[in-house]
Amino acid sequence: MNIRIIATGALRSFLHNKVILLFGSLFVCVVLLMMTPLMTYKSMTNAANAQQMQGFVLSTVSGVMSLVSAFGSLLAAWAAADSVAGEMKSGTVLAVMARPLRRWEFLAGKFLGVLMLMAIYVTAMLGITILLSWLGGQHIQTSVWALLIYPLARYAMWAALAILFVTLVHPVLVMGIILIMMALVELFGSTSNHIAAWIRVPVHLVLPLTGLVSEDRFMVISRAPLKSFTWTSHLIALSYAADYALVCFLLAVFMFHRRELTRD
Amino acid sequence: MTPAIEFSGITKFYRRRRFRSEKTAALSGVSFEVAQGEVCAFLGPNGAGKTTSMNILMGFIFPFSGRARVFGFQPGDVRAKKRIGFLPENFAFYRYLTAEKLLRFHLRLSGRQTPDPAGLITSLLTKVKLDSYKGLKIGKYSRGMMQRLGIAQALLGDPDLLVLDEPTSGLDPAGRKEVRDLILGLKAEGKTVFLSSHMLSEVEQVCDRVIIIDHGCVAGAGTMQQMLVENNQTEIVVDQLSAELETLLVEKGAQSLRETNRVRIICDSGLKRELTEALWANGCDVISLAPVRTSLEDTFLKLVGRTGGE
Repeated sequence: MNIRIIATGALRSFLHNKVILLFGSLFVCVVLLMMTPLMTYKSMTNAANAQQMQGFVLSTVSGVMSLVSAFGSLLAAWAAADSVAGEMKSGTVLAVMARPLRRWEFLAGKFLGVLMLMAIYVTAMLGITILLSWLGGQHIQTSVWALLIYPLARYAMWAALAILFVTLVHPVLVMGIILIMMALVELFGSTSNHIAAWIRVPVHLVLPLTGLVSEDRFMVISRAPLKSFTWTSHLIALSYAADYALVCFLLAVFMFHRRELTRD
Repeated sequence: MTPAIEFSGITKFYRRRRFRSEKTAALSGVSFEVAQGEVCAFLGPNGAGKTTSMNILMGFIFPFSGRARVFGFQPGDVRAKKRIGFLPENFAFYRYLTAEKLLRFHLRLSGRQTPDPAGLITSLLTKVKLDSYKGLKIGKYSRGMMQRLGIAQALLGDPDLLVLDEPTSGLDPAGRKEVRDLILGLKAEGKTVFLSSHMLSEVEQVCDRVIIIDHGCVAGAGTMQQMLVENNQTEIVVDQLSAELETLLVEKGAQSLRETNRVRIICDSGLKRELTEALWANGCDVISLAPVRTSLEDTFLKLVGRTGGE
């Protein structure tokens, strides 16, 4: 019950957060601007260049999805860090924690609030992606549930990491660490086979390997058959994300339990 | 009966700088108790350790050593927090909410079951005179209005113990009087109130007991009566006093102060009967006889070793 109250309070504060609203609006504008080349491709498509135009459309949609994913990860991390640090900075945490509320419930509420925000984001972005694909004359041939759950699992990992770091350091520093980790994930995701095992293994344990919970592994935006991806594979990928987020969250609870609550 | 608040040998250090081992003692072996139903003032100059103690009491920060209990539970325990209403210093809350929505949020968190939450919130807002501003966003509130709202949220869960850090800070004289009356009302209901304040004259009017803290140590504690009676002295006021009688009184260790229409004689309380009889016998009209009371401010300044100001 308490977790739900804190979560809805956190979501309400996100929806009143001018920074989130400004960046969200700008982002939607950028994504929608990408409609223009798609419309152009569609109008220029004929029997002779259909294959080439389809390639343009697919690369545009793929670019949008990468952008949506990167922005979503940053948004999840920032919202999570700010929701805890903002309460500490303003001192509102004192009045809230004076209520019969356990510290882990406070953190869980904040985490759930971030997930609620990200669920709205994922749904909105999925709608935009489907719209862009449709405008480009393509169809996304993947179950909608997977396109909702997978990004949410990725964002949960980043949010849990951010909550863990913000119990230790300043939120600006948290965002710096998160950005470095995102760069490392990209680096180790693409070149991991060329890196020595003694570096690769510990890094894989620490970094959130978001590539494992990426829709790219099974998603196809064309009339071609779907890549084979079994339920077990889905389960393993999502379990990894849930496990990673849970470990980070539990570590955050451990740190927060010992943290002194004062106005920063 | 379990004390509402129990502090035993509480010590707390703060690091002077992060990642350095140098420490400053915020509290050094602080011990006191507040019984249930008492209105107790927690006084001290700035930086004495009042807010640190209150934060330990609420479970926000942890003591280095010592034992703290609230209704027999560890600070921060949900069972203790269910019985506490807390007003932090410089109360702050989500600026985009209205007072009504804020109180609704806190009411849900407090777990208090009430058949008419809206009615309860309205009555509380009326009590703190914010009913006409209940639709206004908190971000537009003045400092005094914020303080009133903070008091309303502290009262929301019908707590047995109210912990108020500077409750009258930012309030106008009328607001301060309302807070005083509110505390007296809570006292009549048998609630425990633990408050810190720099308004010593107000504390004098509402509190049963006083704890004075300075440099992280308890400098003095006692009932208000004990705090206001100094050195067991009595003041006898007479209409006139002859020079011979004055000499006699001075020989007995009394002190006389001549004023326009009266003479004040200050003596040890043990001598009051003897001196009063002597004054009557010599034809003096005794106007009043009362223990010498100092103001709480005098006692406070004496205990914290200051001659004035902070």
